[in-house]
Amino acid sequence: MKRNPLTIAIGALLLVIFIALLFIFQVRQTEVAVVTTFGKATRPITQPGPYGKWPWPIQKVYKFDNRVNELESNLETVLTSDGYNLLIQVYVGWRINEPQSFFPRFAGSTNDAVKNLQGVVRNAYSGVVGKYPFSAFISTDPKALKFSEIEQEMLKRVQADAGANNYGIEIKFLGIKRLGLPESVTKLVFERMESERAVLVSTIEGEATTQSSAIRTRADTESAKLLAEAEAQATKTLGEGEKEAAKSFEIFKQEPELAIYLLKLKALEQFLQNRTTLILDDSTSPLELLKSQPSAGAQKK
Amino acid sequence: MSDSHKHPSHDHEHDHSHDRDHAHDHAHEPAPEAPEMNEYAGTQALSDALRSSFVIVKVIMVGLVALFLFSGFFTVKPQEKAIILRFGKPVGELLNPGPHWALPSPIEEVIRIPVDQVQAVNSSTGWYATSAAAEAAGNEPPPGESLDPSRDGYLITGDQNLIHARATLRYRIADPPLGYVMNFANVPNLIQSAFDGALLFTASRYKVDDALTRDVAGFREAVRARMDELIAQQGLGIVVDQIDNVRIIAPRQLKAAFDRVLEAEVRRGKEINDARSYENQTVSKAQAGAESRRNVGQTERTRLVEFVAAEVERFTNNLPAWHANRELFTQQRQADLLRVVFTNAVEKTAVPERAGGNRTLWLQLSREPFTPKTLEQPKDTH
Repeated sequence: MKRNPLTIAIGALLLVIFIALLFIFQVRQTEVAVVTTFGKATRPITQPGPYGKWPWPIQKVYKFDNRVNELESNLETVLTSDGYNLLIQVYVGWRINEPQSFFPRFAGSTNDAVKNLQGVVRNAYSGVVGKYPFSAFISTDPKALKFSEIEQEMLKRVQADAGANNYGIEIKFLGIKRLGLPESVTKLVFERMESERAVLVSTIEGEATTQSSAIRTRADTESAKLLAEAEAQATKTLGEGEKEAAKSFEIFKQEPELAIYLLKLKALEQFLQNRTTLILDDSTSPLELLKSQPSAGAQKK
Repeated sequence: MSDSHKHPSHDHEHDHSHDRDHAHDHAHEPAPEAPEMNEYAGTQALSDALRSSFVIVKVIMVGLVALFLFSGFFTVKPQEKAIILRFGKPVGELLNPGPHWALPSPIEEVIRIPVDQVQAVNSSTGWYATSAAAEAAGNEPPPGESLDPSRDGYLITGDQNLIHARATLRYRIADPPLGYVMNFANVPNLIQSAFDGALLFTASRYKVDDALTRDVAGFREAVRARMDELIAQQGLGIVVDQIDNVRIIAPRQLKAAFDRVLEAEVRRGKEINDARSYENQTVSKAQAGAESRRNVGQTERTRLVEFVAAEVERFTNNLPAWHANRELFTQQRQADLLRVVFTNAVEKTAVPERAGGNRTLWLQLSREPFTPKTLEQPKDTH
């Protein structure tokens, strides 16, 4: 074999890579790691980047995902302070933030960590939920509702427990995912809802009658008022006319006899304009002409 | 080329075949120099082969290096942004769509983030146990007497009624998008939980009828507001695009009872509408009546005034004649009147005076209306 500079360069490169693999490891942004020396956690790494280590079997690196993970607790029955059985399920956002604590505590097993967290959350249920009445969860009165307070209090409780147990886990947030009632209770609720519906139907029917008759009455009143107003106005108008006419009557005062005579004449003309049967005494003018001696009088029907 | 490749690895095989060739040569044509010549040729061939193999290795290496460097090219698609991690640590700015280059793995790593893509999650805890297929086919399992919390989802309303609700949340990754990728292991799951929580939160303060019918839009807005609050609180790094496919129903067990209420509401609406239309009719009729009454008043007034004016005129015109000779005037008027009367009157009966001056007239009232053919004289006796 000839010694060739290229060969040497390649050889050196391969050697460098091999050594790098043995001595260097990198931690991603989404990870934390712990370096163990002869099986004992000696160096936690929480910042991303390349790091050096002694090769196996002296040191070993364990990497964990440090992103926020979701844990959903089981649906469990909790007694509220006013004696209701409430089913509750929460979700928890947690992440591994202290790998040097997490690793020895759970031997690097995330499943174990989740199981332990479930227990911590369960304690928070009875510890926190039991202090509040049912109306803190479910109410139409915004003052009675303590939803966010309960979530915050449970979060603090879980955070405190996780910290006290030195899990190496940070609890980021906690929220209520589900609330429920025991199955037997739902049946009773259904019965109550059904009777409420029946009450509602009769209320609505009552309202319908009340409201529609109110509208009808209002309509009748309104129209009566309109007509009465119109009647009054018409009378007033006529009165004005009469007042105006009365001025003209002043003229009649010159010769009241003629005025009365003319008015009577007019009235009679109008009276006789219709289909009339007239029975006249033969002494009526000019019927008296039919007889020898004249007389006066007339009968009409 | 294939020979030279085989050469170093199949050394033994080559030797073996060479020996066999040698033996064969001996048998046919004895030549003492032949083995030496062959050995030389073999060395020569070996060295040739080695040389050419080095060339090939060089070419391959150059090719590999080129490939190694070219493998760092990547394209960020239009709906994406990307970030480069160098030794696992984000470096530089977010990369916009277009071609980019990064050092090859394991030095650098490219993380793509679908920033503009609208993603969706469905709520999971508010609906009774069913499947999409059964729902589409319309053969869902019939409702039982109660709701089993291990299977059936539901929400409790503020007035302690149970309802089923479900919805789809559509969201995008918020700006800056790094948190979404780097801080959460399974964002859709977290978002689903938060969304369930938001529905639960909203239902727990709503009245059942508001949630079901009266204020569905308000309910949806309230869910969205709570969702925004949770996103901010938990730092989920998303923006709600919209909440749709919202379905809120009464428990199937109580469908009939809830329907009866709806029917009653419809009836109430109809009854009130009927009353309103009665109101409209009555009032407009009254308005018309009132208007006409006012007109009549006006007309009467005009008529009266005009009548009086005419009478005044007649009076004024007749006054000189009256003053001249009252008797003549009245006689003339009377005669005029009678002429008109006699012309207009249908029946005319003159009753002559008897001796003694006593006359009795019997009048039949409400007799049959006059018709020319069946002319009937009023009963009149003396």
